[in-house]
Amino acid sequence: MSAALEQRARQYRSRMLIRMWDYRQRHHARGVWYRLRRLLTDASHAYVVSSHDAAQLKAEGFAVEAVGTAIEPPKIIVCAPLARVAGLASAREVPVSLRGDLLTATCLVLVPFDRAPAARQP
Amino acid sequence: MDQDLEALYTRRVLFRDRLWATISAARAVLEEPGVLVVGSEVPNLLELDAAATLIVSQDLDIGVPVDRHAAVKRRLADLREFRPSPDEPSVWTPRSSDLLEINFVGIDPAQDPAEAYVIADDELPLLVFGALSLVTAGAELEIAGTKLRIPRPAGLLLEKLVTDRTGEKGERDLLVALGLLQLMSATDLDELSEAYQRLRPELRHVVRSNLTLLSLLGPRAGLPDPRSRRHEVGALLRHLDSEDEP
Repeated sequence: MSAALEQRARQYRSRMLIRMWDYRQRHHARGVWYRLRRLLTDASHAYVVSSHDAAQLKAEGFAVEAVGTAIEPPKIIVCAPLARVAGLASAREVPVSLRGDLLTATCLVLVPFDRAPAARQP
Repeated sequence: MDQDLEALYTRRVLFRDRLWATISAARAVLEEPGVLVVGSEVPNLLELDAAATLIVSQDLDIGVPVDRHAAVKRRLADLREFRPSPDEPSVWTPRSSDLLEINFVGIDPAQDPAEAYVIADDELPLLVFGALSLVTAGAELEIAGTKLRIPRPAGLLLEKLVTDRTGEKGERDLLVALGLLQLMSATDLDELSEAYQRLRPELRHVVRSNLTLLSLLGPRAGLPDPRSRRHEVGALLRHLDSEDEP
């Protein structure tokens, strides 16, 4: 009877080993998905914008997030305040999730959460 | 009442009745000192009047500390409304469809969270998941005339976040974790933070990785909507990040 449990224990250990490997790879190519998710976690809103508007934001000094160029095809991902995004003619809001609209966009603007007291801090 | 709403209400009430009946039928082991109810039913039991509105799997996970294994075994004879599953050791199936399955898992506080081992036993074999070493005894609840103990919220949440979560079940488990997070006090969050700092770096990374997944999930029927809680998940992640390496 315990053979089935032994098998599940081996599977558990295997999954943990894969997670350890993921950890070691976090700064390499495989870690890109974690880095992308981490960036998105801090975004309250996401907008697909035209390459023209993305270039405009870049010219205004908004930093381009490195993780966008670490995936293929590359994306231009810029973080900007909501007030600035409101002035972009091409901006189209998409859900902040790992779904098609966001993943297939070439240029994205992310609006960070207000980190002030609105968020409950531990 | 709208028919769909009525059907949902009826289903929830039926599930709550089954959960309560299962607890009552498993009283002999649940009241054994050291035994904890673990798993996805805990947030259901923490709802007002244990309303059990979250849609989770139809079983009750019973955590058995390894040093209480012999004592729990002695109580198995009193589980008259269940029988051992012929297919899955550690699972006891109900004799009536009015009850849920019960699933025994082992808890070893001294175990590494990344490890797992088996206590081989003809009557009560146990798979001892390392992540359950993060769980400690919390509040006692009285449900259906049964006094049962649940884990402290911080340890249970950390256990959920340190475990590999993939696929539909993994996503639903993360939403159960969100349900726990909603119920946590500032003291619980401090406790979570302290326990997190004691984890090895790679396990802390698993916790952070699961929080990023949680923050990007879509809604699921019968579970908390993660979209309205994204700021809270992000705040927790930023707090954990601040205590961690780059």
